This record gives sequence, structure tokens and C-alpha cells, in this order.
Amino acid sequence: MSTIDTGARRRTTDPRPVITDLIDGDTILSIAGDAWISLVGEDEVLVPLPGPLPGDILSSWVDVVGPWTGSVVLTTARATAEELSRALLRESAPEVLDDEDVADAFGEIANVVGGSVKAALPGPSALSLPQVGNAPLVRNPGDVCRVDVVWRGEPLTISVQGALPPLPVPSPTRENEVSL
Amino acid sequence: MKILIADDSRVMRQIVIRTLRQAGYDDHDIVEAEDGADALAKVGSEKPDLVLSDWNMPNMSGIECLEAMRASGSAVPFGFVTSEGSPEMREKAANAGALFLIAKPFTEDTFREHLDGVIA
Repeated sequence: MSTIDTGARRRTTDPRPVITDLIDGDTILSIAGDAWISLVGEDEVLVPLPGPLPGDILSSWVDVVGPWTGSVVLTTARATAEELSRALLRESAPEVLDDEDVADAFGEIANVVGGSVKAALPGPSALSLPQVGNAPLVRNPGDVCRVDVVWRGEPLTISVQGALPPLPVPSPTRENEVSL
Repeated sequence: MKILIADDSRVMRQIVIRTLRQAGYDDHDIVEAEDGADALAKVGSEKPDLVLSDWNMPNMSGIECLEAMRASGSAVPFGFVTSEGSPEMREKAANAGALFLIAKPFTEDTFREHLDGVIA
């Protein structure tokens, strides 16, 4: 007889959950798809396909602090972040985008995606203001839910990643030790 | 009708203005504020008929702005347009006196649903 691990045991006994116990890739993809339709345009689709990111990348993210603490991080080529910013600004996009325009628009997409991710997680949680730059480091590879998509042929990743290092794993031999 | 739109993101203010227009509310004066403190000052100086405000902003948040407005006796109709759409945030908004909370991402239909009857 096989046993299916639903994650319920971990949720009830562990001191803190990891993100894969709380949300899945399909939910993140659906949240991001809604954000794209609202902000970028009705015909703008995200195709769930992995693609290699180039060397010159830019990230935007918001932090969630609560029962689960971490960041919702969007990463793409700098040129794609600029194209996204132009798509958001539409007719009001200046001829030459400055860094502030890209930080504002790309950060706002992270804010909208992050706000919806936060609403899908157990609360109460706080949401930070968006930041743009080099993404926060992954502290615990077991506390990451990442979705790879393609927008207008360009790769983009959405990573919902914990901010805390993994908890120490209790060693059975040490648990049985008797102090003398 | 004069509508004050408060959001620290310039691009989001433009998207809100664009969505108002797409939803059919295109014949109104728009005033912009870049955070809650700016919004609070402009509620006094610009005398808007409606405030549409983000929640998380530097200097002063949207909820702090609403609380300050109500504390000073201002009854100007106030609604949130924010990425904070969780049930506890909706409850906080309602308790502070907000008429509605439109969660980002929104569509022109969401705007019509909340603004019909509020915008003349």
C-alpha cells in the first residue's frame, strides 16, 4: 500500500511552512496571467515555457512578512523589463525610458503579482513596497516555487522564495543521547 | 466631478486614469497625488469629490490618509485601488470608512461595478 504525502502532516507539525505547502505553480501562473491582462494588455499572454535568461538581467520584487516570510521576485532581461515598461505606459511612454520609469513600471508589476500571492497565503501578512535591482538570494532551495514563462518570445521567471534559511534537521542519534 | 488619484507609482496613476476613461468615466477633472501625505494636503487644497487611493505608499499610507481625513472631519468619499485585496485588508478599509476596495489587478468592469452610483 502506498502513502500519498499531501503535506498535511508537515503543516500541522512543522514550526513554519515552506511555500510549496501553501501555493503551487499553476496558481502563480494564473495570478501572473491576470496581472498581465490588466496591466500590460488584454491580448498579452504568458506562455509557461522555460527559457535561458541572458547575462544582463533585472529583477523586481516585493517582500511578504507573516506566517510565511519571503519575496515574490520577477526576473527578466533588462531589455524585456524596458519593453514591459513601455507596454504599461503605452502612449505616455517617453522616447527614451530612464531607469526611474523602468523601476516604477517593473516594480508595479511585482507589486500586483505579489499582492495577489500574499492574498493566497495564510495571513495576516504585510507587503513591502516594490524594489528593483539584483534579486534577493535564495536562502532555502526547499522553500521556492518558481514558474518560467515566455512573454513576447522573451523568458521571464516568477520566483516565490522564502527569506529564511532551512531549519536544522534533528539527528536521530543525537536525540537518543543521554547527557551524563 | 473632481477625482483625486493617489499612488506612489506614476505608471499606476496613468493606468487608473486610463481605466476610468475605458469604463466610461471620461469627463472628469483628475488630480494626482504621489503619496498619502500629498493626498491629504490636496484633499484640503483641491477639494475633490472622490479619492481613489493606493494602500502602501511611502511617507503616509492610504489608510493613514483616510484616518487623518476622517479625524479632521472630512467626509469626502474614499475608495482604495490597491494590491492589498485580502479579507482582513477589506475589513480594515471598511472600518476606516472606505466606500470600496478595488484590488489590483482590475479591469474596466471592476471599476464600473464599484464606481456606478459613486461617480455622477
